[in-house]
Formats: sequence, C-alpha cells, structure tokens
Amino acid sequence: MLKQELIEKNPIRHLKGESDAKESSRMGLVMARAGVGKTALLVQIALDSLMNDKQVVHVSVGQSLDKTKLWYDDMFKDIAEFCNLENAGEIHDSIMHNRMIITFNESKFSRAKLEERLHDLVQQNVIKPSCMVVDGFDFAKTDRAVLEGMRDLATTMDLQIWFSAVCNEEADCQCASGIPAPCKGMEDLFNTVVLLQPVSQSDCIDLKILKGTAAVSKCGKLLKLDTKSFMIRENCK
Amino acid sequence: MKDLSKVRNIGISAHIDSGKTTLTERILFYTQRIHAIHEVRGKDGVGAKMDSMELERERGITICSAATYCDWKDHSINIIDTPGHVDFTIEVERALRVLDGAVLILCSVGGVQSQSITVNRQMTRYRVPRVAFINKCDRTGANPDKVIKQLREKLGLNAVPIQVPMGLEGDMQGLIDLVKMKAVYFDGENGDKLRVEEIPAQYKDECDAKREELLDAVSMFSDELMEAVLEGTPTEEMIMAAIRKGTLSLEFSPVMMGSAYKNKGVQLLLDAVNDYLPCPTDVDNFALDLDHDEAEVKVTNQPTDPLLALAFKLEDGRYGQLTYVRTYQGTLKKGDSIVNVRTGKKAKVGRLVRMHSDEMEEIEESGSGDIVALFGIDCASGDTFTRGDYNFSMSSMHVPEPVISLSITPVDNKAQDNMSKALNRFTKEDPTFKTYVDQETLETIISGMGELHLDVYVERMKREYKAEVTVGAPQVAYRETITQRADFNYTHKKQTGGSGQFGRVAGYIEPLEEGEYEFVDQIVGGSIPREYIPSCDKGFQKCLEKGSLVGAHVTGVRCAINDGASHAVDSSDIAFQLAAMGGFKEAYMKAKPVIMEPIMKVAVEGPTEFQGSIMGSLNQRRGMIIGTNEEDAYTVIEAEVPLSEMFGYSTDLRSLTQGKAEFTMEFATYRPVPKSVAEELISKAQKKDKK
Repeated sequence: MLKQELIEKNPIRHLKGESDAKESSRMGLVMARAGVGKTALLVQIALDSLMNDKQVVHVSVGQSLDKTKLWYDDMFKDIAEFCNLENAGEIHDSIMHNRMIITFNESKFSRAKLEERLHDLVQQNVIKPSCMVVDGFDFAKTDRAVLEGMRDLATTMDLQIWFSAVCNEEADCQCASGIPAPCKGMEDLFNTVVLLQPVSQSDCIDLKILKGTAAVSKCGKLLKLDTKSFMIRENCK
Repeated sequence: MKDLSKVRNIGISAHIDSGKTTLTERILFYTQRIHAIHEVRGKDGVGAKMDSMELERERGITICSAATYCDWKDHSINIIDTPGHVDFTIEVERALRVLDGAVLILCSVGGVQSQSITVNRQMTRYRVPRVAFINKCDRTGANPDKVIKQLREKLGLNAVPIQVPMGLEGDMQGLIDLVKMKAVYFDGENGDKLRVEEIPAQYKDECDAKREELLDAVSMFSDELMEAVLEGTPTEEMIMAAIRKGTLSLEFSPVMMGSAYKNKGVQLLLDAVNDYLPCPTDVDNFALDLDHDEAEVKVTNQPTDPLLALAFKLEDGRYGQLTYVRTYQGTLKKGDSIVNVRTGKKAKVGRLVRMHSDEMEEIEESGSGDIVALFGIDCASGDTFTRGDYNFSMSSMHVPEPVISLSITPVDNKAQDNMSKALNRFTKEDPTFKTYVDQETLETIISGMGELHLDVYVERMKREYKAEVTVGAPQVAYRETITQRADFNYTHKKQTGGSGQFGRVAGYIEPLEEGEYEFVDQIVGGSIPREYIPSCDKGFQKCLEKGSLVGAHVTGVRCAINDGASHAVDSSDIAFQLAAMGGFKEAYMKAKPVIMEPIMKVAVEGPTEFQGSIMGSLNQRRGMIIGTNEEDAYTVIEAEVPLSEMFGYSTDLRSLTQGKAEFTMEFATYRPVPKSVAEELISKAQKKDKK
C-alpha cells in the first residue's frame, strides 16, 4: 500500500473533521478505562497528522521520553504491517522529523509553562505544530478554567488539541446520559469526544463517538478498531 | 591463601564531574594507602592519586581505569576507577567486565544524568550489582530524595535509602544509619574520626518512616526478616543479610549519601561495599569453550583448578608493558609459564605486582578472583591466559565500530618512528582505536569513537612518545548502501596472446536488511564451475571496500549469482573475480545507491531559560529533536544529530549558554544523508579522484 492510500484509510481523519479548513482550533477528547488504549489512539491521531506532512507536538505528562518515542515506533510498525505499507523505513524517518515530544513531571505541568514552551519552539523555528496531543493530563485535578485556557491556546496558535482522560469502570453504563466523569460538564469545550471500550472475546476495540458530528454520517456512531494497529476493521461485525 | 569471601572487585562509575576521582582519593586515604589528600583541581599541583596520566591531571578528567588495591576492615578491595566521558565508553565496559560489583555515584544536584543512564545500561548488560552513592550533598541545591526518585524512574532501579542525611548543603553534619539506627558524625580535620551517637530528636520521625520503608522493601528478600518485622524484632544482621541478598540479585539497590569532598560518608560507603557487594564466588562468570563451539562454561573460582585469567587492560609503563589481569580460577604464581589462548604463545610470569595507581607492590602469587598486573607479557587487551591445558576464552567483548577518523602526519623522521610505536601501543590497549594507511593519499589515518577520544590519543603521542604530528580535519566514516534490487550480466573477456581470460557472471544485488554482506549461490547446472564460485564471492567483497559514490565502505548488500559461462582454457580464478567486480559495478548504480552517515544520539542538559537557543543550535546542525524533558530548573533535550555536524559543538554550546549546559553523545545508527549533502560529498569525492 502506498502512503496516500494509508492516509485515506485512516479512521482518525473522520474524527478530526472533514476538511482541512475546519481542522484547526478544535479540541478532542479520548476517554477509556486504564489500559484500553488511550495513548495508542492519541499516537494514532498524531501519526495521521504526521503522514499528512504536518507537524505535531506530543505532550506527555509523567512518562519518559524514551517510552513515548517507543510508542511511536511501535505504532508505526504495527500500522505499516497491518497495511503492508511500502518503503516504511523511509517514511518513518521522514515523518519523525516533524514530531516533537515534550515531557513533564506530573507535579510540574501547567498550562502557562506549556504555552511558554510552545511559543519558544515556534519562535526558534524548530517546529510549527498544527496538532498537539496531550497524554496523561489529570482531569480529576483540573478545573474548567485551565481547559478554557487550553481552548484559547488552540485558537491563538491555530492548533488541534487532543486529550486523553481516564474514566472509571462504571463509565460504560453512564455514557447514555452524556460524558462520564471526570469530564462531566465539560463537553461543551470539546468538539469531539470518543470512548474506547474493549470487546470481550474479540480482537476488536469499540470506539463510541459520544460527541462530534463530522464522523456520524459516514461511519455511524460505532467504529471497530484493530487492537494492535488501531486501524478500522472492515470485516469485524 | 586469601579467603575469597573477603575480596571485593568493585568499580566506581558515574557522570562527568560527579566526584568519582575525589571519592576514590578519599577511600585511599581512609584505607591508609595514601597519607595526604590532593584534589583533582587542587592548588598544590599534585593532582589526585588516581589520575596518574599527566594529561588527565591537566584536563581534570580521568581517562584510564587505573586499578588500585586497598584494605578495609579485613577485606581486600580492588578498585577500578573508570572514565566518565562517553568517548571512553569501551574503557568503562572493559572495566565492568572484570568487576563483581559497582558503586554508582550521582551528584545530589545534577541527579541521574545522561552518562549515568549509559553506565547503568552497561552494568545491567554485565549483570553488575550496584550500590548508589549520592555525592556532593554539601552543594547548594542538594536534594537526595529527588535523586532517589530519578534512580527509580530513569534507571528503573529498586532504590531505597539506607541512610538519612543530617542537614544538607552548607550545614550537613553527618548521616543516620537506618540499619543500625544510629547517627554518625565525621570529626577531625579529614573526617577520619567517626563518632556514633543516638539519633537527634528532630530526625527521629523521619528516620522511623524511612526505616519502615527500607524494611518493607528488603523483607521481600528474606522470609526470616519478614516474620521478624511482623513480630517487631528485626535484628541488624537480618536486615543486612536481606539487603545483601537483594543487591546480589540485582533487584535492590541500597542508596547511600555523603560528600566526598567534605569527607562525609565515605567510611560508611566502604562498610557497605564489604557488607553488600558480592565477592568473586557470589557472581557467576562464564568462559567460552573454544573446542565446543564457544559453549558457555561456568568458571569455578577454585584456586586449585586450572588457571583462567583475562587481560583487561594494558599500560605502557616505565618498565615496559604492564598487563592488568583478573584471575577467574586457579592461581597465578611468579615464575609460572602461561599460554595466551588467542595466539598460542607461551610466556613466563616474571614479576607479579599489585597496583596502586602508578606505584606498585611486588607479590608472589595471586589467587582466583584477584586483580593484579603482570610485567613484560606480550598480549592485547581482552586476551585470555591459561596454563596451556585449557582451550577456553573469557567471552569476547562487544566492540563498537569507529565513527570518526583523522589523518595524522609526523613532522619529522624521528616523530615518524615514535608515532608508529605509539600507534602500535594504542591499538593494543584500546580495541575501539584503529589505524591504517590510506592507500591513495598514503596518509596515516586514525579512527575512534569521537573527537575527544582521538584528541586524547594525539595528545598522548606528543607527551608520552614525543611524536609531534599535524592533524587533518576530522572525517566522518560514511558508508554506502543500495536501496533496490538490480540485475547484472557481465562478461569479462581478454585476449592478449597466450592464455586469455574469460568469465561471464549473471545475477542480482539487493538490499540486505540485517548484516553487512551476504553471498548467495543460485547456480544450477554448473554454468559456473564449482571451483570458481568462491572467486565470485571474492570479487564482490573487493567491490564492497570502496563504493562508486564517494569511495566509502559498502554495507547491507546481498549479492546473488544465478547464471554464467566459462571457457575450458581461458577461465581462471582471476577472470571470475574480475567478472564479478564488473557485474557489481554494472548493477550498483542501477540499484540506487545512497550515502549513509553516522547519527549520534545527543543529550544536552541545561537551564530551562536556554532551552530555545539550544534547540535552535541543534536544529541548525541538521538535528532531529526527539523531545525535551523538564526537571525543575533543568531541561534535557534529546536529539539525533549527524556526527559530521557535531564538530566543535562543545565550544558553541558553551558560548550559547554561558557555560551552563553540557552535552553527551553516543553513536546511534547509520542513516542516509539528505540529497543536498550527498551531492556535495559526491562532487568532493570526484574532485579528489581527479587530483
């Protein structure tokens, strides 16, 4: 498969909004229980932007640089294998130039610091991201103001920002009534909210779209993802 | 004969400027091997004892791992002081090979720095149990708790403190031992008088909590202790035994603290070396049986068994070649005759000495597990010695390929002689240092692991061998490889009277994922006679030495032959070699060759305010920034940068950050160079050819 085909096949782009014009300054949220694959989906989102020759900043709170880098290498390998991507090695080397990882200690993370870092990067001409993923952001300890700040950041820097959030076990049944804790009441800040759920005795993961209009018309409210590469499975019912 | 359980072979390794040499100096002082303390950068000009090389004294860095022996409380300790700079990594690795245990020194302010990570990885590879020592607790900004957290997070060690400092920074008074639950003060001008007292009231609560934590962690290793803890009656011996067990299994790392410079905590560290680090019989060492396909054989450590010893370091001293040897089993006696397994040569042990940096002490024999030095034995480092009855070799060490080279030209005839003597010596001492004569320019080329690595050898040539040389610009070791399959069908024909030459070879070349070169013989039906197939292989290999793009070594190629033709009279070995070479050249350009360059993994550590400019500087150098990591006021920036762009970076970095940032680099991989650079390289190579 060629790079172009892979870009088109990627499910994530449905979530991101259909046209490039709309893509900027949006906020997205990935929710799941611990260990289902939030980071994997975020990396997938980042990889999709990278594939489109866009620049990405990955903010990792509480995880080391090496680990985050491994995520990318592994995910890329899985996707390349899943789709039989041609000259994968070359593409890998070329797109990783457009990725930048910033890691923070849990206690050291703040929006102001992140903003300063980002401005630094743009000023030094190191990177000009159009997408940012934030992994390990603690929603339980954050109030609305911080997220509103992030939203402003997204607008001023013309960024698409994706977050991940851990929700607890009961979230599965709550989702009918809106967005589960700890992000309850914040849904108006996000353009897209998705929930990942493992399916027992199957090699698929359910991706439920809780909020977001773009994808609905095309794929319905439920997508099936391959557990390894997080690509859409067509044959999985 | 010495009791082996009372022998410790330990290494001390750490990041640059964490105070390794200072600590070693203190250890030697307290064990009464030296009688005065000299600082590394002291005003008295004597320099520390372990930095025996003049150059090291001048630069304030330690290059060679001098082996030193000392006694502490009825235990014998051999200390290998290891270099802290990554350019000398092979030295560190070689030292680790012969160690049983190690002390990992960390700076209480800098914490786990990039070099510590490298060293830790090497220690894990050689399964070296380690204790950590947080040094420089007297410095402003000292924070041992932060360092312990980093030990857990960054190095993945199960690090638990067994001490609590009484005061930090300027007002550090002493340490509290959590095993004995006593406060220890270091009195006297040189901190050599230990005063043990009850724990001061203000530290009581903290100590109780930390002790609880320690007991929790170590009771994992001892059921006896676990029960005793539940009953509330753990004894000192039980705790110590459990810590030892955990440390030996590499699942636990006790953490100690102190300040070597201010003479605090060193004696307790020595106690810990005796108590918690393994003796030679505690660790399993393996030899390779050369008669049985290098099968691993466990060495016995028995002094009565046949001799097995490893030469791990050579030094050219005033009295000829000095060889540092570790005995793994058997006994090495003065007057013995020993055999070098690699060369099969016999040698006689003339003098046997125990080294104390550059002074020595004559001894009669050395038991297994000991580290001693031999005189006048001709060997290279990494050689194994036996008494001739064994065909075993201690495992071969992992030697990285050199990534940078320099041309050197002696200034006069005298220097020429001295230079070849020096080069001969250095290549024996250091497997990562290589030298050869370029057949085209007739220049002598030296190659190694980094700019500093080669710098040091050039300096040593001047100082030790009086060989003045002029040094050319550093050259990066480029490589060439192909990116796609290409076919060839080449006929070599020559008719010049007498017997001619004839050979036709057809096949293809294609990229090889792993490995440097592979030859595949797919000839069926004998279109090329059996006896000429190795000739084809030889022909291909000759082509690999020099690629057509820039004359660099070609790697990652699979050459296959599947058809050909021969002539009853005119075909010969040389004809098929030339045919294969012709075929390779025909296919090579079709196979889209690319130039590869060494990429270094660079880690820059500096204050956060310089982060932007550091990143800018890396970006300018074609660096790919992987990411940044924030820690308090410090930021670590990791990037992958081509080696060719890293020349002179240390100067740039210093001026960019007011000298507050430092960097380390390490070879990562080979990667194709970008098009613009490739074109430049090719045109340069073409110009050189025309000359």
